[in-house]
Amino acid sequence: MAAESPAADSRSAPAAIARLRNRLEGPNTIGNSRWFWVGFALVLAVLVAIPIVGSGTGGQFSLFLVLGLLGLSLSFVWGYAGILSFGQTVFFGVGAYTFGVVSINFPSPTGITGAVVAGTVAGAGLAALLGYFMFYGGVRDVYVTIITLVSTLVALTFMAQTAGSEWTIGEAALGGFNGMPGMPLFTLGIEGLFSFQFVYNEYEVFIPLLGTRVFDPFYYLVLVLLVAAYLGLRVLVNMDFGRVLVAIREDEDRTMMFGYDVERAKLVAFTIGGGLAGLSGVLYAARNVYIDPSVFELYFATLPVVWVSVGGRKSLLGAVAATIAVEYLRLSLGGEFALVAVGALLLLSILFLPGGVVPWVDGKIARSRLVASDGDSPGGPAEVSDS
Amino acid sequence: MSDSTSQESLDPNVRQTAAEIATGDRTDTLLQTDELVKTFGGFTATDSVDFSVEAGELRCLIGPNGAGKSTLLKLITGTLSATDGSVYYDGHEITELAPNERVSRGISMKFQVPSVYGDLSVRENARLPIQQFADGDERERRVQAAIDAAGLTGHEDDEASTLSHGQQQQLEISMAASLEPDLLLLDEPVAGLSVDERAEIADRITTLNREEGIAFIVIEHDTDFVAEIADKVTVLHKGDIFREGSIEEIESDPAVKRIYLGTDEDSGGDGQ
Amino acid sequence: MATGLKHAAFQVRYGIAAVVAVAGLFVLGAFVSPNLTFRISYAVSFVVLAAIGLAIIFGIMGVINLAHGEFILVGAYVTTFAVTAGGFPLPVAMLAGALVTAVFGLVVERVIISGYVPNWIGQRTVGRDLIKPFYDRLADSMVATFGLSLIMVQGARILFGNSIDQIGVPFGSTAGYPDYRIALVGITAGVLALVYVLFTQTVFGTRVRATMQDEQTARALGIDTERTYMYTFAIGSGLAGFTGALFAPLLSMQPSIGDQFLVEAFVAVVVGGASVVVGTSLSGLLLGPIDAVLSDQFGEFAGRIALLGTAMLALRFLPGGITGFIDRVRTMREGGS
Repeated sequence: MAAESPAADSRSAPAAIARLRNRLEGPNTIGNSRWFWVGFALVLAVLVAIPIVGSGTGGQFSLFLVLGLLGLSLSFVWGYAGILSFGQTVFFGVGAYTFGVVSINFPSPTGITGAVVAGTVAGAGLAALLGYFMFYGGVRDVYVTIITLVSTLVALTFMAQTAGSEWTIGEAALGGFNGMPGMPLFTLGIEGLFSFQFVYNEYEVFIPLLGTRVFDPFYYLVLVLLVAAYLGLRVLVNMDFGRVLVAIREDEDRTMMFGYDVERAKLVAFTIGGGLAGLSGVLYAARNVYIDPSVFELYFATLPVVWVSVGGRKSLLGAVAATIAVEYLRLSLGGEFALVAVGALLLLSILFLPGGVVPWVDGKIARSRLVASDGDSPGGPAEVSDS
Repeated sequence: MSDSTSQESLDPNVRQTAAEIATGDRTDTLLQTDELVKTFGGFTATDSVDFSVEAGELRCLIGPNGAGKSTLLKLITGTLSATDGSVYYDGHEITELAPNERVSRGISMKFQVPSVYGDLSVRENARLPIQQFADGDERERRVQAAIDAAGLTGHEDDEASTLSHGQQQQLEISMAASLEPDLLLLDEPVAGLSVDERAEIADRITTLNREEGIAFIVIEHDTDFVAEIADKVTVLHKGDIFREGSIEEIESDPAVKRIYLGTDEDSGGDGQ
Repeated sequence: MATGLKHAAFQVRYGIAAVVAVAGLFVLGAFVSPNLTFRISYAVSFVVLAAIGLAIIFGIMGVINLAHGEFILVGAYVTTFAVTAGGFPLPVAMLAGALVTAVFGLVVERVIISGYVPNWIGQRTVGRDLIKPFYDRLADSMVATFGLSLIMVQGARILFGNSIDQIGVPFGSTAGYPDYRIALVGITAGVLALVYVLFTQTVFGTRVRATMQDEQTARALGIDTERTYMYTFAIGSGLAGFTGALFAPLLSMQPSIGDQFLVEAFVAVVVGGASVVVGTSLSGLLLGPIDAVLSDQFGEFAGRIALLGTAMLALRFLPGGITGFIDRVRTMREGGS
């Protein structure tokens, strides 16, 4: 089922590509054909071009990409490990606040870079703690979901009452509902060696035929991180570990009977999800140069569930695509109707397309290929071998 | 006969089986339970059971419904934890071990309800147990061997839920056998299968027993099936061992018939 | 997990003993420190009334209705409008609130939870079912009903604005404490008793419990399980509406009040376990005082956090909630071996 072992020249470009595709593809992800990657490259090109060609959309779009990381984290944890977590936004928020606290206290580029790490680690660490509490305590299925929901409420209640001046860590005041002001502008690097400011640092670039365009470095940073996370997760879910997660999702007891340490696997997956969500939160705070407890609200906690439900929980790509699409829709509608639309979207997608849009589309494509190729199996192996 | 290493590792608390006491020999007791008890609330499912199986033996476990057969199997695999008593495997006590730890020591089980991973392909199913033991080409070879042994060559990419009941059972046995266990527990492997499918499963089990030396404990109701595969039969009734012996001895024992019909004084009413 | 404990949903022997004991304590407390006791009793009533509708639906149907708070909202708003716009007397308005919510619940059940209506349409158009029912699909029902709650809250905001005029509190006060709130305690006990009687003494109740135990057998015995679920959901909704009606004079009428109730209800149901009457009442008796005392001493946030913390601990250490705990105590004492 693997791509044919490259014959003679194992260092040639086609062989290297085949090996790379081997890591990235498998039964656990959709899109295992050459056409998929072509399409992917095209979409990537569009995403790169948007801020340049469009006017000022880059700013708005970078938010969608940041949230895409959050959606990705839930897709991994829910779609692959079977853990429906309403708590991803807790790790998101904790990552953001940790970033805020560390970067305010150490406003140098080194400090801010460290703050990014701190925020991500905080998200992962909290997830590890909560995961240990739940999984090693024998909590299963819906009760895990309920605990994550309760933890969101705890986080909201706690952060909302941190308005007093006693709630200050070093130089950083938590600020309660007023939020945490005073974050330094997002600049990465090492003091004295090199550093680069990513926010509020747009460059004007002259492009032939298009004229002077604005280039937003933060947008491109987030894009790079998002693509890296997506590809990284793709590799992970197609590895042995990913297969074990899928088996756990399908039938936990059965998987235990094959000798796998199910609790540990779930804990690892949940921690990775927490780290990704934390990173998303860091970027969110960096982008807005601000953070407040609204990220712990129940509404925001359900948004990732909406994105992943609509896009397809078992599809990493679907999650990212739906995040961008739904957020775009939400912000376009604005205000009160946005909430109604989101609620309706959630309801309708769970009712009619519980698997999500992207897998449904993928299924349709696969079936039409089945018809077209007169009964050949359109499964993974056949597609891989047509490279 | 037992080799010296297994004699050293045998826990002195492991009681000798009746056969051992009778013949004065120490045979290769692979599995032994010592006054094993399991209660669910007020109901005693397993009533102080002393059960043992030798290495390489093909044992069948029969008994009326509600006798506690599945419970005993789950106590052996660790899916259920014992209320009292102990379980010994290969001379070591395993009573406190989690299921996945017992699996790594050599016990494997196939559940009563066919539980292949329905949405995954046959190949993905077969690969799951094997991927912890082998990589790369060796892995794919073993996966293919497992699929072939189950008679599913050509069905590698089919979703497991599309297989027939009998095919799923074969796949499951393959998956359980891939763990290279010394003891394989099967809970009603031929329930609901046609006569031909039963013959295939019987064949599979005896082959694995002969060629790989795997010991089996098989729960089944079909006495023809049991007659075909069993070295020895244990009859369970109301949570405890009622009789043990060859299938001929069991079949001709009127007391066994009575507990199935529920007319024996010992059984006192409905099996439960 | 909910299915496994469904049989315990109406076990009362040990539970009622516990309830009576604690209630007795409260009566004593009333003589010792009336004000504190009234406040705690009110808190308990709040939790129990908030939770009872949700508990019925969760315990019997295996559905988690996250729109429960909005059902309470419907009852509150209908009652308020009935008085302010319709001029009806309060008791009539309250009844109206409960009934309208029950009907609304019926519609939700038919359209969303069981998918009956969409499937009926589906069968006649494309020849197949469109929706799978949400019974025993706990996680999915959470997600779907949350979508519904978003629609309802925003719908209320869009239709009626950010708040509506409140109705006045009836009765006067005794020993400095509003009589109405004291009356609520009695009403709560009445509601619990009614629910108990309904599900254990009536034919309908027997059908419900048979369906809970083993749906297939129930159907084979001629019980229309679909109808049973439908009425159960309607009853749960009606009770939620009644809760909204009861609290309408006490809270400022905003679309967000649903959230207030939901958190308390949710925690209570989760801590209480599958038993509708015993679990909910004991849960209320546990959580009410925790919330009241801590809110008094350390402020609203502390009370809320204590509540949530209790929920987390219960979920982790008491699988099956208080119901499960009582079950284990009972079987340990009756077990023997």
